[in-house]
Amino acid sequence: MSGAEFLLELRCEEIPANALPGIREQLSQLFASELADNGFGAPAVTSLSTARRVVVHVAGLPETQADREEEVFGPPVRAAYTSDGSPTPAAIGFAKGQGVSVDALRVAKGPKGEVVAATRQLKGRPTPEVLGEIAARAVQALRFPKAMRWGQGGHSFVRPLHGIVALFGADRLDQVVPLSLFGVDSGSATVGHRVASPGELEINGTKGLSGYVGLLADAGVVIDPAERRRRLEAGAAALAAEVGCTVRPDPGLVAELAELVECPGIVRGDIAERFLALPQEVLVTTLRHHQKCLVLERDAAVAPFFLAVCDRPDDPQGLIRRGNEWVAGARLADAEFFFDHDRKAPLAARREALERVVFHQKLGSFAVKAEKVAALAVELAATRGVKADAAALASACALAKADLVTAMVGEFPELQGIVGGIYARLDGEPEAVWQAVYDQYTPAGLEGALPRGAVGAVLGVADRLDTLAALFGAGEVPSGSKDPFALRRAALAVVRICAEAPLPADLGAAARAAAVVRQGAGDAAEATGAAVAEFLQERVRHYLTAVAGISPEVAEAVIAARWGVIADDVARARALEAVRGEEAFAPLAEAFKRVRNMVAKGGAGRADAKLLTERAERDLLGAVEKVEKDVTKAANRGEHLAGLRALATLAAPLNAFFTDVMVLCDDEKLRAARLALLARVERLFLRLADVSRLSAR
Amino acid sequence: MDLQSLILSLSRFWGDHGCIVQQPYDLEVGAGTMHPETFLRVLGPEPYRVAYVQPSRRPADARFGENPFRLGKHLQMQVILKPSPDDVQDLYIQSLAALGIDPSAHDIRFEEDNWESPTLGAWGVGWQVLLDGMEISQFTYFQQAGGIDLKPISAELTYGLERIAMFLQRKESVYDIAWGGDLAYGKIRHQDEVELSRYAFEVADVEMLRRHFADWEQESARCLDLDPPLVVPALEAALKMSHLFNLMDARGAVAVTERVALIGRVRRLAIRCAKAYIEQRERLGFPLGGARKNGNGGGRPPAGAKGAAR
Repeated sequence: MSGAEFLLELRCEEIPANALPGIREQLSQLFASELADNGFGAPAVTSLSTARRVVVHVAGLPETQADREEEVFGPPVRAAYTSDGSPTPAAIGFAKGQGVSVDALRVAKGPKGEVVAATRQLKGRPTPEVLGEIAARAVQALRFPKAMRWGQGGHSFVRPLHGIVALFGADRLDQVVPLSLFGVDSGSATVGHRVASPGELEINGTKGLSGYVGLLADAGVVIDPAERRRRLEAGAAALAAEVGCTVRPDPGLVAELAELVECPGIVRGDIAERFLALPQEVLVTTLRHHQKCLVLERDAAVAPFFLAVCDRPDDPQGLIRRGNEWVAGARLADAEFFFDHDRKAPLAARREALERVVFHQKLGSFAVKAEKVAALAVELAATRGVKADAAALASACALAKADLVTAMVGEFPELQGIVGGIYARLDGEPEAVWQAVYDQYTPAGLEGALPRGAVGAVLGVADRLDTLAALFGAGEVPSGSKDPFALRRAALAVVRICAEAPLPADLGAAARAAAVVRQGAGDAAEATGAAVAEFLQERVRHYLTAVAGISPEVAEAVIAARWGVIADDVARARALEAVRGEEAFAPLAEAFKRVRNMVAKGGAGRADAKLLTERAERDLLGAVEKVEKDVTKAANRGEHLAGLRALATLAAPLNAFFTDVMVLCDDEKLRAARLALLARVERLFLRLADVSRLSAR
Repeated sequence: MDLQSLILSLSRFWGDHGCIVQQPYDLEVGAGTMHPETFLRVLGPEPYRVAYVQPSRRPADARFGENPFRLGKHLQMQVILKPSPDDVQDLYIQSLAALGIDPSAHDIRFEEDNWESPTLGAWGVGWQVLLDGMEISQFTYFQQAGGIDLKPISAELTYGLERIAMFLQRKESVYDIAWGGDLAYGKIRHQDEVELSRYAFEVADVEMLRRHFADWEQESARCLDLDPPLVVPALEAALKMSHLFNLMDARGAVAVTERVALIGRVRRLAIRCAKAYIEQRERLGFPLGGARKNGNGGGRPPAGAKGAAR
């Protein structure tokens, strides 16, 4: 790389892992835009970090900034010139201030109308000088999930800042760039790893980024997060292989662990055999969430080992392994205590206690919720095509929320549902029941697997629809970024289950049913049901475009016709997406648009086919009768493609009709008959899609 | 290292680093943070350094002496350094060395863990400190207390003493740790845990607790309404309310809806106490220094440099 380089290192107390990726990204962007704005073009910017330092490196810089021109706005034209066009003192003063002659002033359009403007010649300054300013602005522009103050309390940053290295140079980084942030002045020395190399580490004279990375590596610091991650993955795989295991894949945790350390080390610890009797989910959650340990597997089961990451390469006295083993053992013993405690009574015995757990201030307890969900589930299960065993569904609804009052869920809230499912299984509940309880919270929005059976699908949909109807009824409607009950995610999960399980219930009707279960039949329930249905419809649109890959206009055409049985909505959308490009289909959008306009304008007419005597209208009538049969036949077979192609055959007779027939004629009865024919065409189309939405105009 | 040596070593270490070695507060509190030596001293401009052990009451965490890791009453070593010094992390690590923990043989990590107390209108930013994977301390830069933005900022270090002792002694149960010599923690404390659990979960008279909660609320407000207000008595009354709330909560007598309201009642008083305390210190001319008008903005701890305290 030709040109000079710049290296900035900010040394802090441990920066939260969740803040670091954002800091690197922001620094890269802030530097790139500042460099461009200051006439440096687009040199290569690299951001690196550990928990204790953040680094920016810029390559390919000139020694001196390029000369630039800058347009500066001055006073309004009115104030700059007198009526005879001579400059006022305001104009003269402005020109002087900008170092240009008054004659060089131009008129320009400023944000507040016409102003005089000067083009200022900016002489390029020494690059290091500009870099110092850029670095200070970029660092101060950083935003964090949570900022803090320290010491005298005058500064705010992600964590207390202790050191700044800012070096510039062509062959070697040998020129300190003066810079001061939060009371800390830049210099040329940093420190190494806290334990491995705590002393001062001189950077001055280093050869470029690779030289710096090498110096840090010698001082026990791996500055590149991707490299730390690679080492952790390799180390984990090797330690697992030693005991004939594999690492349970956990990319999110590995990424987090890589952010937590400067020097990625890893140790393997043993788990006492007796803990393997705990449910695997509990074992994994304890180790993963509470101890940030990687879990090892052998023959698809949790093996009696774990891997713990440490911020050093070695474990010279085995203390780190023994310490982690002790902690993991303590955590698992705790989980075992909760498990044994919970297992003293069957899950069903805990239902009573749900009366004391409030679901929502205005909406009563979870005992109430369980009743409502059960009532709604019965309605959903009565839908044609739903094959959920009634007895199993009733049991699953009754047990679903009981785990909320177990000690295990009290300790591991993320295991709600799963713990209930496990306990139901251990209580000897049938598979359909325990699996439904286990799966009730999956998927979370678009992520996660579907419930395994029909009972689980109905329970999952009923539970979420009840939550939506209950909270909408209580005025807890999400708005903007505020969605404290994650209702959007719940609605999306409902749509996904209905689409993919699939569950052939009509969601619009189900939303209304859910509102009636909560509020009783009446205006209130009607309004709530409509609002929930509209909310769900929005998620259907999102599902069609984001998941099913449907174009927005096709999604709109399908939903505008009718929606609710999501699997059918998706199928119609896919079919429409497939046929819309076909030649026969092209004129249909315009033709149908005219149909809709006409019907909307003319109102409904009385159908009297005998009055239709002109050839074009007889032809259309005949075609409609035939296509109605074709569409019905296709619909019964679920062949939307055939149905849509049948619709396409109406394009020619419709165009002939509009060319030859005067719909809005003076004869009132004839007009009504013609409108009735068009209304029939409209109804026929809307069984599949409102293709007028595909119109180019 | 037995429990009492742990306490003595930490007290000596922090005493040598400019801390006043204080005593536990003589009221039931949920955490060392509630001790006026923390809650009040972190307010206002006056520099301060203090260390003390605080028995901390968490009635809902009690387990009838049956769970080897959970206690209804445990010991915290609390250290406040105001303002937080630049080398606070190093000092902390040195304090571990004073417990015989050689940093060069262990893994010490600072993982983000922020702290918030809705009861005190307080929050802070910081870490949990992990020693070989074991959480041994909370490390917090206080940002706000009693609803007031703090300036300067205090660093709070809280050592979970039983946990550290269990870890150092490699015991499987808290009741097995050696308190002094060979005498086990359980021999001294187990029966308390059994009785305090039974009281908190089964026996406490909820109506009485509720009544006293309201009584102390009035008493606290009455002290604050005086001119000048009685700050410490008002705070003590609010702390009693906090403990009464914890007992009601353990007894299962606090509905979720009511919870926020009850905590809010304590917080309102804590906020008034904080405000009254700052006003009182200002009237007294900030006797410990730190106020800008005294030209003492440097904010050195009262006992001066490292190791000079007696």
